[in-house]
Amino acid sequence: MSVIKNLKRFTIEQTKKDYTPYLILSIPLLFLIIFLVWPLGISIGKAFVLKGKELIWDNFTLANFQRFFTSSMYQKSLRNSFVISFTVVLFTLIIGAPMGYFVARVEMPFKKLILALGILPIITPAFVGAFSWVILLGRQGVVRYAVNKVLGLVGLSLPPIYGLFGIIFTMSLTYLPFVFLLSYGAFKSTNPLLEESAMIMGAGHSRILRTITIPLILPSLGAAAILVFIRAMGNFGIPAVLGGQQYVLPTLIHFRVHGFWDLNGASAIAIISVAIVIIALVIQKKVVSAREYETISTATSEYKLHKHLLTKVIAILYCSLVLIISLAPQITIITMSFFKQWIGFLPSGFTLENYRIIPQIASKTIKNSFFLATSASLLTALIGTLAAYITERRRPKGAMLIDFTIMTPFVLPGIVVSVALLSAFSSGPINISGTFLILIISFMVRRTPYVFRSVAASLTQLDEALEESSIISGASWFYTFRRVTFPLILPGIIAGTILTFATLLQELSTTILLYSARTQTLPIQIYNTVAEGNFGIASALSVLLIVTVFIMVYLMNIFLGDSGSSSFKLG
Amino acid sequence: MIYPKNIIYKDVVKKFEGKREKVTALKGVSFEINQGELFCLLGPSGCGKTTLLRISAGLESLTSGQIFYGEKDITSIPPFRRNIGMVFQSFALYPHMNIFENVAYGLRVRKKPEDFIKKKVTEIMELVGLPDVLRRNPSPTALSGGQQQRIAIARALVYDPEILFLDEPLASLDAKLRRYMRAEIRRIQKATNITTIYVTHDQEEAMAIGDRLAIMNTGLVEQIGSSDKIYHQPENMFVANFIGKMNFFPATILEIQGNHCKVKLEYNQKMMDLFFETNQIRTRKINQGEKVILGSRPESLTINKNDGKNLLTGRIQIIQNLGKIVRYEVSLLQDAKSKLIEVDMEKKLAGVKEGDEVCINFRKKSTLLFPGKKVL
Repeated sequence: MSVIKNLKRFTIEQTKKDYTPYLILSIPLLFLIIFLVWPLGISIGKAFVLKGKELIWDNFTLANFQRFFTSSMYQKSLRNSFVISFTVVLFTLIIGAPMGYFVARVEMPFKKLILALGILPIITPAFVGAFSWVILLGRQGVVRYAVNKVLGLVGLSLPPIYGLFGIIFTMSLTYLPFVFLLSYGAFKSTNPLLEESAMIMGAGHSRILRTITIPLILPSLGAAAILVFIRAMGNFGIPAVLGGQQYVLPTLIHFRVHGFWDLNGASAIAIISVAIVIIALVIQKKVVSAREYETISTATSEYKLHKHLLTKVIAILYCSLVLIISLAPQITIITMSFFKQWIGFLPSGFTLENYRIIPQIASKTIKNSFFLATSASLLTALIGTLAAYITERRRPKGAMLIDFTIMTPFVLPGIVVSVALLSAFSSGPINISGTFLILIISFMVRRTPYVFRSVAASLTQLDEALEESSIISGASWFYTFRRVTFPLILPGIIAGTILTFATLLQELSTTILLYSARTQTLPIQIYNTVAEGNFGIASALSVLLIVTVFIMVYLMNIFLGDSGSSSFKLG
Repeated sequence: MIYPKNIIYKDVVKKFEGKREKVTALKGVSFEINQGELFCLLGPSGCGKTTLLRISAGLESLTSGQIFYGEKDITSIPPFRRNIGMVFQSFALYPHMNIFENVAYGLRVRKKPEDFIKKKVTEIMELVGLPDVLRRNPSPTALSGGQQQRIAIARALVYDPEILFLDEPLASLDAKLRRYMRAEIRRIQKATNITTIYVTHDQEEAMAIGDRLAIMNTGLVEQIGSSDKIYHQPENMFVANFIGKMNFFPATILEIQGNHCKVKLEYNQKMMDLFFETNQIRTRKINQGEKVILGSRPESLTINKNDGKNLLTGRIQIIQNLGKIVRYEVSLLQDAKSKLIEVDMEKKLAGVKEGDEVCINFRKKSTLLFPGKKVL
């Protein structure tokens, strides 16, 4: 050990730490603080101050919240939001879980097709679904017309789709795929040996279902339920098209901002709606985490599919019925886009005019939409990737906090994000309201979780030894990231980015408060065209939108195989 | 050319801060690894051997203490400035690069010229015994486990590092390949004469491959020495029990005469004479009247048919024929709760079957002596 005493002093150059990672990795943190944490803080502050008053302690008031006790419109909106969200969760679970079971466990043809068509409702913009149901079940809707002809004989009539029932019906169909896909995955991936061992110990089919299968997939159903609940709470498009006099919290926020430019009041409503989501999330975590199990054995085998003829017939009929109903909007929209109007039983006035005038009326909005979606998804890819890298690889002390912050927009209704951004950046030193910038920022804030999750998943699967081995070989952090990490997580980045792009193209609930004449997007134009009652043109524009999104998702599936469509579980 | 470096650890302490508790993975470790030595870190899982390896390579920082490569204090030098090589348990071959690029990686990092890289890679692939693989140059996923292992070693050695780290390199291979590859690793290590640290939890592997071994337990080094020394002269009960099987018998020393001792067994208060090798009595400072633990390897015990006059009597529970030897697991009649005693015999005793009573005898010279009253 005498060697230690006559050490050579080491030059500073060699002991110098590599600071590049810290510099690069601070980018996403700064972004989150400036454009998420800060606006949310301002927005929360404004909720406790009256409109037009300065944000100081002396002006503190609960008046903005008092309306929930005094105004019947507020009370009704709150009640509506509750009723709608809970009923939609219930319906999607009741309809979606059996479908997942059938496709996973019953031998039947066209499984791939059912799975592919099954996700169509999510990639169709929700408000497009809503207005297609107006065509089918509205005052002069074709299905309602036909049904009433029959019901009329016994003196009954089907009410038009407007109002609570219509919202619940359309939302259930829109969000059905979440439950379907998640329960399908769960039914398929639980270890069949567990059920087989129960069978060998003498348990019957219903007992196995009750004591083994359902408890094991409960966490997945819980996850699907909360996903649907969050989306149902935050959805703007469907109640905006179908609500009529029935307001829900997102449309109420829109009303406050659009009608009165009352960001303070809107913030208060936003707080309430986020609080509800958070309470639901906590309850779900409590219920599910007590029932989350880890599979102990590593040995697995394939499920034996049900082959009984009766089971097969029931399964096929059930799936076809659900698919036909949930694909009705797409079929309706495509048909409608070729006609002038659709009153009574058949559409009338075949025309290509709806498409021919698109370049004239929509070239600007299409260009805007593509510009915004492209730039926002590329920037989101950058931020999301870096953020995922930080939390997965650097594991700083506050990793949990970063993770939590990034995932926050996931539970924030889109319109709440816009209220927060408007609160912080529509007055004072930084005023970017009405610009492309505020839209891009809002898109980035909302969609960072998509890329983050997707890349974080790739990183968890990537053996850390690969990067360590590169460092040991003498490569710096940046060299390692460029040559090893980045190429290997690229599929995850691309998946997340395409998903982001596809969803941003149809974004309505954030855009609705932030757009200006200059920055109007395609979904906004469709929404306004529907409001004007011009269903033919709205349909043609919607077809354009749906086809573009569909091609994107299809390309992603080719690129990434099966994992592509499953990443929609995220969004 | 590799210039082997020795490694010196000085009071190395590593604490991990978990969510709820702090875990001290290394509790002050000091020792030296010689130049060109193949040194094994061996111990049960959680003993700190992997932590020590990762700290030595710079992948983890240390809480306190110092590490030297030769005369250089490298404690705070990041791993990529250390000129070291490492083979990971999972091999960590880059799936997006072909074999040549995988092996050449460290040379590319060092910005070596193309023809130099080609020459070096070809040389190293010959050393690891895969000269033909470069002709097809496939992706690493197309290779077998053993070939992947060789590529991982080639990649770690190609840029002439000063030290090679091997983190359970054979754990993901099947048993037969493991025995073959460990000989290969020793051949390659001796051919390059690079100072090598080899982590494993497999004691047979460590004994077979290492010039010297460090036996670790709960963050401390229990003993360092050659395989032979550790097997025949374990310094404490942990090492004795961890390396191979050791039968323990609590006893009291009655009389000491040079290397001869008269001891009394706790089980049945019977006395016997023992001869201890290598002055165990003096080095362990054992006095007359003191309570000790006697340790005996299975091959240092014998059994024969119970004739009623013997020291220890037991009942055979299980007989396993292991080919070269026959192993008897015997429960003591006097103490039914004690652990089963293992006895290895060269031949099967005629007419003795499971359930029979037998007596156990000590071979005089090879009994070990540990201070203390309780069996570990």
